[in-house]
Amino acid sequence: MKDFYQHAAPTRVIAGRDLLGSTGFEFVKEGAARVFLVTDEVVRGTGLVEKAEAGLADGGLETAGVFDEVPQDSSTDVVDRCAAAAKEAGADSFLAVGGGSVMDTAKVADAVFTHGGSAREQEGFFLMPRGADGMGRPLDIAPLGCIPTTAGTGSEASMAAVIKDPGAQVKIEIVDFPLFPRLAILDPETTRTLPPLVAAATGMDAMTHAIEGYVSTQWNPHQDARSLQALRLIRENLERAVETPDDEDARGNMLIAANLAITIELGSVHAMSHPVGAVFGVPHGVANAIHLPHVIRFNAAGAPDIADRYGDLADVLGVEAGPDAGDALAEHVTELVARLGLPTRLSEVGVPESGIPQLVEGAIGDGTTLLNPREAGEDEYAALYRRAL
Amino acid sequence: MAYFKDADEVYAYIGRLFEELSEDEELAPKFRKANTIVQYQYRHPESQITVKLLDGEDGQVDFGETALKPEVVMTMDADTAHRFWLGDVNVTVALARGQMKAKGPVAKILKLVPLVKPVFPRYRTLLADAGRGDLLEAA
Repeated sequence: MKDFYQHAAPTRVIAGRDLLGSTGFEFVKEGAARVFLVTDEVVRGTGLVEKAEAGLADGGLETAGVFDEVPQDSSTDVVDRCAAAAKEAGADSFLAVGGGSVMDTAKVADAVFTHGGSAREQEGFFLMPRGADGMGRPLDIAPLGCIPTTAGTGSEASMAAVIKDPGAQVKIEIVDFPLFPRLAILDPETTRTLPPLVAAATGMDAMTHAIEGYVSTQWNPHQDARSLQALRLIRENLERAVETPDDEDARGNMLIAANLAITIELGSVHAMSHPVGAVFGVPHGVANAIHLPHVIRFNAAGAPDIADRYGDLADVLGVEAGPDAGDALAEHVTELVARLGLPTRLSEVGVPESGIPQLVEGAIGDGTTLLNPREAGEDEYAALYRRAL
Repeated sequence: MAYFKDADEVYAYIGRLFEELSEDEELAPKFRKANTIVQYQYRHPESQITVKLLDGEDGQVDFGETALKPEVVMTMDADTAHRFWLGDVNVTVALARGQMKAKGPVAKILKLVPLVKPVFPRYRTLLADAGRGDLLEAA
């Protein structure tokens, strides 16, 4: 067995149809009473927030307020405003209804709401307040529930949040156990109005989590089980969900796949995609879809045991791998991305060749670089970006 | 029992290694590309090393109190730091287990991790030259 690994999945997940009406029934079990809803204008326009509010009322909970000012790429000032609004409203809990940006905003706002300070001051790895002189159990934050409206990020079941600091022009990461939401509700109703290209891009994000989690240096049997089952669901449901948005089964299974796939043990695909998003505004799922095949080829060529793990993934996806599993899997991913209608090259999404040095700098400084199964330095990242161009 | 008996021992070995790296003509410019000030706060024994890694500026290593304002703060037992420099600690695992805690733009430090691997033998040599084979064996 491995010398060490750690797996935590404390979020209570409920999945199924017509669950929004029981939001209150479920959230009261997590200690919520006066709930502060966090969302964005687009989601609010779909009527989902009203359904969640009705569900809260049906379970005897009050809606203390609604904050719908979360932008696509949330920032520290938005988080601070959100936390202050929750305080002003006399809330005792948070419910996020939205995609990754909304959920991450709610997580960090909850930390600020509970422990004080500012969003900027929350940055850090495992640094939230704890007992036993900082070495004991982390102190709880207010009850947090999430209703994801995209099937990709998996933030509803992770202990990480990423928020932009516009002043410093960087993205700050906050990682600690209290950020695991207490409740996640996966209901296909929430992705019914998702535009097909967004469904495709977020689905590729989920696929990337599953693949990178399986081959990361921190791979482990618990994550293996989650990654492999996530890929089975993605194989059967991603294209269906994109091509036929009224296919409720496909949409529901993609929500479950994204929830299963999430991990913070990622690799060079994410290391490359984070700066592409930060510098050129390329949506995260699109960037992952572009980088994934190139990183698969690079990693699989690194060592036979890495190639073997890609071979496992190829099997699950029904790819005839032959002697070169990495190449076959990479080709399969490229074809899938094209069928989904997503771009396959960085040049298609506005990334110029002159931007590569800055992107390389960002990729090397990304924490996920250390988790990639094959060591990647400046030269390797520059070559990967050029191949993806 | 902790490997180091007091803060002075931490500074004599781990601190000395930081000073050597700060003066290294080949490695120092690479480390300074991180363009940050990082402070290592150690427990058991309580000690603190602050390292200036600013692009285009001379290096600086302060033991204990400092006028430097750190951008990144790494907190860990001095034993963990010792084992790290011996090459026995996986940083990502140590962060995940809470053996190392990081405050601030951690990415700036993580990008240095691959650079320090060649330094591990130097730390062993430093300890051996100081007649501290016991610290090599203890880990």
